[in-house]
Amino acid sequence: MEEILDNPYLQPIIATLLIIAVFPLVAGYMVLAERKVLADLQVRLGPMRVGPYGFLQPLADAFKLMLKEDIIPAASDKWIFWGAPVLSTFTALTAFSVMPFSDKFYVADVNIGILFILAMSSLGILGLILGGWSSNSKYSLLGALRSAAQMVSYEVPLGFTTVTALMVAETLSMQGIVQSQLDKGVWIAFSNYGLMLVPAVVFFIAAVAETNRAPFDLPEAESEIVAGFHTEYSGFRWALFFLAEYASIFVICGIAVTVFFGGWLRPFANVGFLETPLNVVFPILLFVVIGAGCALGAARVTLAYEKAIMGVLALGMFLVAGLFAIPMINELIIGFFWFLFKVLIFIYVFIWVRGTFPRFRYDQLMQVGWKYLIPISMGGLIVNGIVLLFTS
Amino acid sequence: MKELLKAIFFVDLIKGLAVTFRNQKPSLIYTEQYPKERPFVAERYRGAPRLNVHPDTDETLCIACNLCALACPEQLIVVGAERNKETRRKELTTFTYDVSRCMFCGLCEDACPVDALELTQDFELASYTREGVIWDRQMLEEGPLPTEYKH
Amino acid sequence: MATSTTFLDTNELVLNMGPQHPSTHGVLRVILKLDGEKVMGADCVIGYLHRGVEKIAENRTYQQFAPYVDRMDYVAAVSNGLGYCLAVETLGGIEVPERAQCVRVILTELNRIASHLLWLGTHALDIGAMTPVFYCFREREEVLKIFEKYCGARLTTHAFRIGGLQYETYDTFEKDCHAFCDWFEKKVVEYEELLTTNRIWVGRTKGVGILDAEACKAYGVTGPVLRAAGVEWDLRKAQPYCGYEKYDFDIPTCAGGDTYDRYIVRMQEFHQSVRIIRQAVDSLPEGPIKGRVSKVFKPPVGEAYASIEAPKGELGYYVVSDGSTQPFRLRVRPPSFVNLQALDEMCRGCLVADVVAIIGTIDIVLGEVDR
Repeated sequence: MEEILDNPYLQPIIATLLIIAVFPLVAGYMVLAERKVLADLQVRLGPMRVGPYGFLQPLADAFKLMLKEDIIPAASDKWIFWGAPVLSTFTALTAFSVMPFSDKFYVADVNIGILFILAMSSLGILGLILGGWSSNSKYSLLGALRSAAQMVSYEVPLGFTTVTALMVAETLSMQGIVQSQLDKGVWIAFSNYGLMLVPAVVFFIAAVAETNRAPFDLPEAESEIVAGFHTEYSGFRWALFFLAEYASIFVICGIAVTVFFGGWLRPFANVGFLETPLNVVFPILLFVVIGAGCALGAARVTLAYEKAIMGVLALGMFLVAGLFAIPMINELIIGFFWFLFKVLIFIYVFIWVRGTFPRFRYDQLMQVGWKYLIPISMGGLIVNGIVLLFTS
Repeated sequence: MKELLKAIFFVDLIKGLAVTFRNQKPSLIYTEQYPKERPFVAERYRGAPRLNVHPDTDETLCIACNLCALACPEQLIVVGAERNKETRRKELTTFTYDVSRCMFCGLCEDACPVDALELTQDFELASYTREGVIWDRQMLEEGPLPTEYKH
Repeated sequence: MATSTTFLDTNELVLNMGPQHPSTHGVLRVILKLDGEKVMGADCVIGYLHRGVEKIAENRTYQQFAPYVDRMDYVAAVSNGLGYCLAVETLGGIEVPERAQCVRVILTELNRIASHLLWLGTHALDIGAMTPVFYCFREREEVLKIFEKYCGARLTTHAFRIGGLQYETYDTFEKDCHAFCDWFEKKVVEYEELLTTNRIWVGRTKGVGILDAEACKAYGVTGPVLRAAGVEWDLRKAQPYCGYEKYDFDIPTCAGGDTYDRYIVRMQEFHQSVRIIRQAVDSLPEGPIKGRVSKVFKPPVGEAYASIEAPKGELGYYVVSDGSTQPFRLRVRPPSFVNLQALDEMCRGCLVADVVAIIGTIDIVLGEVDR
């Protein structure tokens, strides 16, 4: 037993299994959150019929997708058609392996962590291209072409801005980047006399493009090319693409948070007197408020099973709030809390942007990429480099 | 200069974001949760047809004049009548109304001289069979019975 | 707009857009010839929604046919009804009372707002902004509520009858209209904030699908598309009907004739419609609502053409009577059908994404194109 516990692979294996087991569910609830937030922006209600306030919608969706007929178009390239979504999902989930969820919870701390994530997220787009190409449909092909071009143009500013941040952090390890922000006492986005804000904004824009989200969602632009690269996909294979998309959103938000916004650090990590209000009071208050909301919801719904679900949710939230009050457990989970909290804020902004803006046209997309983002990110790199050189 | 600064700081985009953000207020939600909540139906709504009966005697108000059948653009109303030997008056025997072909234009109720045929506020007309949407006199007098939704 | 050939002699890609496609506004089929994503030509295939409305007219009495016209441009059913009624009234020489004319103006202007709102929502959705469509439908719902309260139907209203109106206005009609106008003017500001200055929107619409005044006239294009090209032509001013000459309003025009200008023109028309509605509601005269029309209506032998400024352009009805209760021939001049002809000209040299924007900006309703 001792031996097993001491094994250095134990923690990574547990973390991996946990991520693989939990992430599909998380992705499902991200979809629900997206639908709800989007509905809210659009003066609608969103899903309301499955479970209380649509809470069970992701499960119903997953169930439906699994039961759907497995359709492979006759003229498609069957093996590639079969493999493309797998490739996408595989790479998207692999990127999680170096994600620093907290100082305690991560799969591996590789010394080239950030490079690994970027490599994996660009490989994921290969899945989209192959999927679109193998479908042997014109709309799919157009979608695939678009995503190839988009990948090539937006990897560059993404890379440049990341390099800028890495210059400040002076390390490639994901944990190291966070640690350096703790040492410096300022998040990278606000360091260098605020000059790093420019790369942070460029990174955000490129990240939206990299994950094929509106307003850069050309590869799957519904109104133009039906569904783009996954026009011919249905059922479970489509679900895999979906999973991959949401995984890569989570990953890119995770990078943004880690590289620019302090990872699992709380805001003002070096200001001592904020320790209790931010690390104990804030999470407790947050979960109590959510729990109270759930309790209110439980009072409003009419059916018994809906009441039960909302009640359990409320209790769970109160329980989590209670956990934060215990110092020992608080120390374990507070990093994780802050990381997720920031990632969720980013995901909210992604959804908010999607709900507001029209879509770019293909040539404008290229223009924004090559004429604005790349020069600005290069300029940011040079200026920040010079400032760093003179201040250190 | 001002325009340039506006462009650099994404003023146009932020204005749009502010609009969607403002509209998030839960009180602004506009959708109805049909069938949980019943929708607004105006008094003059032209929905399911009804053949009115006298409120006291339960006798039909229809005088079998056939004007509705003549007014109907789709010719979906069939009025069956028999002349009563004693009173020498036409009396309604059958009345069929094919709701599946009806476009609820309201010309029949305009044509009715005695306010017997009327389009009501009921709008739930679905049926599992084609025969189910051809309404006979009994159904027209009773009116449709919409399903009560519990959930 | 030069269709330059590429260096490599590649086959052009023929893409069937529609009849089942998310943004062809119904069942329009456009056969696109593509060079990469560049459009070399666009052929429209129509008729998927053909119902033979003009033939149906020959087998219905004049009154019976009125509900059918609502089903052509179902987004602007009230305007269709007005056009038909005007044509038949001209044919029969029927005098329409003042009050009826005033109510007709209010309802058609409300309908113009509803139609433009649907256009704005779907157009924005085509270009990828998914939120305006819900805001637009919210406002449109308020219009439809007024329709429902007035005549009992929301979409295919059958609001007007030959000779005037069937229904007297309801108690709070004036109040509802004023409340809607006040509320709606605030909401238009929101759309403007969402779209008018948004750089992505401007980039997607400016310089796209240019149709200049000459081409507009050559194709017979009318409505906002024509006015966006700089031609000040509005039937409400040019040959007033229904007492439009009594109301004070402007004809918004632009010069560029591109998608953005058409957007601006329609946004301005919102304000003009609101102006007309306010004036009409305030000056609503008392009196009868229906002229003298016999139950069995037999117009004299002859023919009549009446056209109105529908939300989408000039909507004309040509009725030929042989003296019986049924029209001998009825012909519709639908604005959508005529405007759609210009699609090929507008699309050449654009990208696939622009085709969607252009179809949206012509503002077609396939029920009216195919009839």
